[in-house]
Amino acid sequence: MPESSSLDVVMFSPSAEALGVDRDLVVADLGYRNGEAPDMVWELVDDLLPQLPAHVEIRCGFRILPSGSIDVGDDSFTANGMQFSTGPIIASQLKRSTSLALFVSTVGLQMERWSAQLMAEGDMMKGFLVDALASEVVERASVWLEQRVVDHIAPRGWKITNRYSPGYCDWAVSEQQKLFSLLPHQFCGITLTASSLMVPIKSLSGIIGLGPDVKRGAFQCSICDLKDCYRRRDDPGPAKEKA
Amino acid sequence: MNELLESLTRCVERGKVNSKSPYPPDLKGQDGADEFARKAIDAGIPPQEILSNGLIIGMQRVGERFRNKEIFVPDVLMAAKAMAAAMGHLKPFFQSDILKHKGTIVIGTVLGDLHDIGKKLVSMVIEGAGWEVVDLGTDVSPEKFLKAVDEHPGCVVGLSALLTTTMVNMESTVKHVKAKHPNVKVIIGGAPVTEEFALKIGADGYSSDPQGAVEFLNSRCTPN
Ligand code: B1M
Repeated sequence: MPESSSLDVVMFSPSAEALGVDRDLVVADLGYRNGEAPDMVWELVDDLLPQLPAHVEIRCGFRILPSGSIDVGDDSFTANGMQFSTGPIIASQLKRSTSLALFVSTVGLQMERWSAQLMAEGDMMKGFLVDALASEVVERASVWLEQRVVDHIAPRGWKITNRYSPGYCDWAVSEQQKLFSLLPHQFCGITLTASSLMVPIKSLSGIIGLGPDVKRGAFQCSICDLKDCYRRRDDPGPAKEKA
Repeated sequence: MNELLESLTRCVERGKVNSKSPYPPDLKGQDGADEFARKAIDAGIPPQEILSNGLIIGMQRVGERFRNKEIFVPDVLMAAKAMAAAMGHLKPFFQSDILKHKGTIVIGTVLGDLHDIGKKLVSMVIEGAGWEVVDLGTDVSPEKFLKAVDEHPGCVVGLSALLTTTMVNMESTVKHVKAKHPNVKVIIGGAPVTEEFALKIGADGYSSDPQGAVEFLNSRCTPN
């Protein structure tokens, strides 16, 4: 059951099973295309997947800002009197939003400890695959959370845009400081360091535009300026966005 | 080239660790880097040749194929494991100074950044190219880098960062190290880092991938 508060803040702790972590995606995100990974990689991923529930502490949540409380410009938006310089790419995607969902998701500290322990024991491969799984779980948690936002705002007749995170396109990672200032203290157990790094590492933060007239695009790689990214997908394909 | 050395190269390139290793499946049951290194030593092949004409060539191919996105991190990890199995046999030669590293690189993820894996991967490929790697870990302060440089005269410094907010700490590290050791070469890398940024902060080199770091070390940081 979600925890709620008067701030229009909701938090969840979904299980790994509920997120539907996809082995094909985990392997594809390692760079292999068309499932052409060595058998050993598939075997290890299949071996590690059932162990996830014992290691993840998934927490995710959002805050919905009051309707009409945001103002979107050409390369920034203002929320609660605070200006966020997203750059033109993200700002253009937020046009027509009348509100925002501010969100975070995390897999918790256990996963990175597990990965580090395996590596310290000399099993680099397993340690690396646990790290890759953790990235996938936090992605899935964010996708899962998007649907919770959709459900939450549906009675208001609102729709959602894609999600956008500080650090993408021209939006500085350091603006996470402002984002976090609008969320409850240590929301979902995440803390932000002076260098704007979230701890646990396997965490994501961002915003989703809301309103009666917004729409969600099919995929995200096309708007990202990290042209050499090893995860880049040039074809529209299924809408599986990557952090 | 000597058949044993060719086998060693192939084992590193394919990530074949030893005869017991089931990976890669088409080499199952055959000798791996472990056995071939032993055999090469027993056959009297000079350790330097085993390293330079066998192992390093294998790892270089791995670095190049990784750069070209023909293979991926798990393949590099298996190659590094095969390399390490063979290096175990060469260790005594390093200890008795018969074998020498090409040089030393002190590497770490800069202050404020906790990302480890990319830097670890770079370290493995550099090690596989015949360099000694001193890995300082993550969240490494400029002072800690300087101390390590003091302790390893003539070393190169490698800096890694994964976010633009931590990448800025590369500049203070370069300045801090170069203030005392102006001739120490510094190479930087990591997802948001660019060549332009490297130039701006006074680093000597930049690479987007492990093999580029090796090429920088081999071309710019060896005496000959
Ligand atoms: C000394 O010489 C050298 C030479 C070469 C060197 C070197 C040193 N050091 C590294 N190299 C190079 O060689 C290594 C081996 O190939 C490489 O090392 P890497 O460490 O880069 O490579 C690893 C082996 C594999 N690479 C990775 O694991 C990173 C892959 C990408 C896709 C990525 C992932 C997976 C994730 N992320 Co995110 N993530 C991205 C990445 C985009 C990309 N394509 O790189 C990046 C790094 N992330 C970014 C961002 C913004 C973020 N992420 C976040 C979160 C995440 C996930 C949790 C979902 C996940 C895992 C993150 C993790 N570190 O574990 C957030 C931060 C998390 C935090 N804790 O604060 C968040 C801030 C987003 C948010 N607001 O939530 C971007 C940073 C840009 C910036 N402005 O700084 C980013 C470049 C993506 C992008 N499209 O822009 C090279 O860089």
